[in-house]
Amino acid sequence: MLNQVVTNLLFYVFAGLAVFFAIAVVCSRRILRAAVYLMSVLAMSAGFYVLLGAEFLAGVQILVYVGGIVVLLVFAVMLTRSAELLEDKPSLVRKSLGLLAAGAFFAMTVGLFGLSAFPALREGALAGGDTAEIGRRLLDRGAQGYVLPFEVISFLLLSVAIGGIVLARKLLPKEGA
Amino acid sequence: MFESIANHSPGIFQWLVVSTLLFSIGIYGVLTRRNAIGILMAVELMLNSGALNFVIFDRYVAPGAVDGRIMAIFIIAVAAAEVVAGMAIFVALFKQRRTVDVTRMDMMKH
Repeated sequence: MLNQVVTNLLFYVFAGLAVFFAIAVVCSRRILRAAVYLMSVLAMSAGFYVLLGAEFLAGVQILVYVGGIVVLLVFAVMLTRSAELLEDKPSLVRKSLGLLAAGAFFAMTVGLFGLSAFPALREGALAGGDTAEIGRRLLDRGAQGYVLPFEVISFLLLSVAIGGIVLARKLLPKEGA
Repeated sequence: MFESIANHSPGIFQWLVVSTLLFSIGIYGVLTRRNAIGILMAVELMLNSGALNFVIFDRYVAPGAVDGRIMAIFIIAVAAAEVVAGMAIFVALFKQRRTVDVTRMDMMKH
């Protein structure tokens, strides 16, 4: 029972903190602070993955998201001198339109969730951790395997790395020149 | 008090509500931010909530399989690619126009 208490408490604490930091990400006027808040949201998500039993994903989340993507975003902030600028507050129209869209999406989706039941389609449990099973499925060439998407993703990453270098390397030709 | 906490285990509905809330906050950010990098951060929030949804359904609908987790790994990889491309575009734009304010990116209007 104590186990259950701790797990439930962790869920509610993580959920509250994640939502709080997410609101801070979209409302903070200093963009560098928003990056730090985003880092916290992603770390909370790693906690969610642990609670859901996906330890390998939690590790990947920390390594790639917190360690890589956020650092890249901070670099982007520095290179475009956005850190020195204070973003002006969004106008009332823009703010209320954003609130309306976000609130409508939330209400509709949660209403749909409340109406539908999610029965377990395939019962069963993973024997001892998911890392070995994920590795097998990623490189499996059979009908259940994911080796083709895995290769496609690796090509995507390679091409985006080359494209990033080409785009950011030199000044683009000026208009009319 | 401990018993009441122990009896309130989060089910699939609670998990989905948290993930939807994060996605809605991302929508709000995309619609209200003016700095392009801020918009990219809000998009990251939404992508992260999508990956979280995959893992939630993996856990509650097909507990014996790992397909949802593999999809989450693919989402993380695509998010990394997206940030690299976005950053390169913003740096190139900043070099040419000295700003990344999306309300001033109107060269296709004139």
